[in-house]
Amino acid sequence: MTRIVLADDAVLLREALAAGLRAGGFDVVGQAGDVEGLLRLVNTETPDVVIVDVRMPPTHTTEGLEAARTIRAQHPKMAILVLSQYVETRYAVELIRDDPAGIGYLLKDRVTRLDDLADAVRRVAGGGSVIDPEVVARLLGRPRRHSPLDELTPREREILGLMAEGRSNQGIADRLVLELKTVEGHVRQIFSKLALEPGPDDHRRVLAVLHYLKPE
Amino acid sequence: MKPSARNLAVVLAVSVALNAWAQFGPFVISPGPYHWSVTIPNSAFNFTFGLLWLPVVALAYWRDPGGWLWKLFLLKDAAEGTWVFGYFDSPIGWTIADVFGPLSSAILLHLALAFPSGRLEDSFDRWLVRLVYLIVLPIQLLGFLFLDPCAPEGSCGANNVLLLVRNDQLFFLISRVGLLSPIFAILAVAEVIRHWRVATPAARRIVAPVAFGMPLVFLVLGAWWLAPAIDRDDIRVFMLQNKAFDLPIYLTPMVFLVGLMQARLARGAIADLATELGRGIPLGGLRDALARTLRDPTLQLAYAAPDGSGLVDPDGRPFEIPAMRSETRLERDGQLLAVLVHDPALLREDRGFVDAVGSVARMALENERLSAQVRAQLDEVRASRQRIVEAGDAERRRVERDLHDGAQQRLVALAMRLDAARGTTTEAQALIDQATAELGVAISEVRQLARGLHPTILTEAGLRAAIEALAERTPIPVEVDGDAGRHPANVEATAYFVVAEALTNVARYAGASHAAVSLRAADGQLVVEVRDDGRGGADPARGSGLRGLADRVAAIGGTLEVSSPAGSGTTVRASLPLEGPVA
Repeated sequence: MTRIVLADDAVLLREALAAGLRAGGFDVVGQAGDVEGLLRLVNTETPDVVIVDVRMPPTHTTEGLEAARTIRAQHPKMAILVLSQYVETRYAVELIRDDPAGIGYLLKDRVTRLDDLADAVRRVAGGGSVIDPEVVARLLGRPRRHSPLDELTPREREILGLMAEGRSNQGIADRLVLELKTVEGHVRQIFSKLALEPGPDDHRRVLAVLHYLKPE
Repeated sequence: MKPSARNLAVVLAVSVALNAWAQFGPFVISPGPYHWSVTIPNSAFNFTFGLLWLPVVALAYWRDPGGWLWKLFLLKDAAEGTWVFGYFDSPIGWTIADVFGPLSSAILLHLALAFPSGRLEDSFDRWLVRLVYLIVLPIQLLGFLFLDPCAPEGSCGANNVLLLVRNDQLFFLISRVGLLSPIFAILAVAEVIRHWRVATPAARRIVAPVAFGMPLVFLVLGAWWLAPAIDRDDIRVFMLQNKAFDLPIYLTPMVFLVGLMQARLARGAIADLATELGRGIPLGGLRDALARTLRDPTLQLAYAAPDGSGLVDPDGRPFEIPAMRSETRLERDGQLLAVLVHDPALLREDRGFVDAVGSVARMALENERLSAQVRAQLDEVRASRQRIVEAGDAERRRVERDLHDGAQQRLVALAMRLDAARGTTTEAQALIDQATAELGVAISEVRQLARGLHPTILTEAGLRAAIEALAERTPIPVEVDGDAGRHPANVEATAYFVVAEALTNVARYAGASHAAVSLRAADGQLVVEVRDDGRGGADPARGSGLRGLADRVAAIGGTLEVSSPAGSGTTVRASLPLEGPVA
């Protein structure tokens, strides 16, 4: 069973989250209200997945991001899912820039759908990347002048967005109810139109797509 | 006492009348015969020259209407007319003429010593003048008690109404006192020259004409008296000599006139001073300007200590008025503002001038004090405006925190609980789904509200990151250019809200296809600029958004410019000082 450590200073939400995760078949092995407690739990419990809120004491700004970096440095294999109250594309991009394997950035609203939360936890636990659809939508929807993105068909844009969320070709095919081969064809087409190097593995692909989409 | 044109006219009329009386009196009151020198042309000539006294009297009156100077001039005029009484066919008239005849010389001496203030400033002067008056009036009157003018030809006592008993020896003895006159004249001249020597530079110009003119007058007189070689029987030489004696008569008014005009010019320096002070003077410049105007390099300026504990110098150190110095107090509503400490001679010479300079200085000080007060109030208003804005910002942050930690968390937790309840009972399923959907909307709304109050990314990652996040949320392409680095929270917040408001306006009204934000920090200023290619024509006075922004920008001492020509896009530029509002 996937072992999870939770960190959020809002006790009510943390408890609800823990309850939801347990109901979804996960093993919540520890909860922390601040970064210090989280790092202690990570070292003692060595969970499979860490779920951490971006904003925690003492400054209530980006302590969660800092904690994620620390954990990644100490336990490179440990999956981390960062929850954020607000959509800040900058944080998402910064978070996965160095090593997107097993990293996720999810809007807090998303966790209200336990299925979505469970899906995200499973994906990062499996070494995948998760970027909140709203972040992707913001990146993708960012108005620009004369971009190769204009060349994409609506279907291709949709698939580009799912790639940016960190989904595999199979995941995309499942999601859109398409044949895997069809998805692969679209992906090739997209990479060609955007002049990106084709064929990296899934999470490298996220990085390439995000890098392409992120502002400057 | 203020001079009035009406009173001046009266004074001048009296002067002219006395002059006319002194010259034409005999022709009016007596059918003749007249002394050989009393002719109409002679009198007309003398009268005309007598008019030279008019500007002297006028200047003296205008300078100090309450003083003695102009009165002394009138008294001199009156004394000069007493000889006319000799033409009354009456012993009283003859007596008046004889007794008061020498008075005018005494008054002239008095004038020379009292010039220009009208007062006798030291005790020697006062004794000298008293002595001269004593000799000219009471002592001479005493002599008249024993004089019979008709003697020795025979008694005709009726000519002298004062005659008590004829005693030639006694009269001769008493009248010998009159021989002291040249001594008094010399003493007076020496004294006037001394006045000049001890005068301040300013006063010297005023005293000089009298100090050097009067000796000249006496010199001319003496020279003619002592010239033995002149043939007094030659009528032409006699006439020439007679005219030469008149020379001092013509010279005297000129001497006083030049002196008074110098005094008038000195007063002109007050206008220069007022102009100079009106232009604004550097700190400490007031003393120098006053010293220049008063021509007293030793002048000191001391201010009333703010706590009322005494005097302080311009550097704020306690100040004691040194001995042997004079002070002129500058007050307003009975409250001491400052003290001018100066050469005591200034007051003796021209108190009115010092007072006038003092008034100008008082106005300048008052002005300085008021503008300092206004500056202080303005500083206070600026500071309070800034505090209000900062308090507003702090409040926004607090509300955002409360929303984030409270409502948002609760709503999300609630949504999760609801989600967990899905599928447990089929009857309630539709209701739960509906509640979950509504809750999702509520969560999203609260999130946007909280973020709009105060974006955490601004505090955490700075202006550039926060503005990029704003640009992402704007429905048209926005280029963000430049990086301002990190700055005080209130400056960053102000810049952020300017850009946020401007981009909101761009999206809503401008009809633009593209906008650009530039950030630049240089020369102690943070400049943010938002440009669009829309239709322009934005009126900053109309929209409350821009108006509020301008207030916010002004609160930290910055400026907000909106340029929005119709059809050429809109540029909003905020320049924010990085050192806080400059006082």
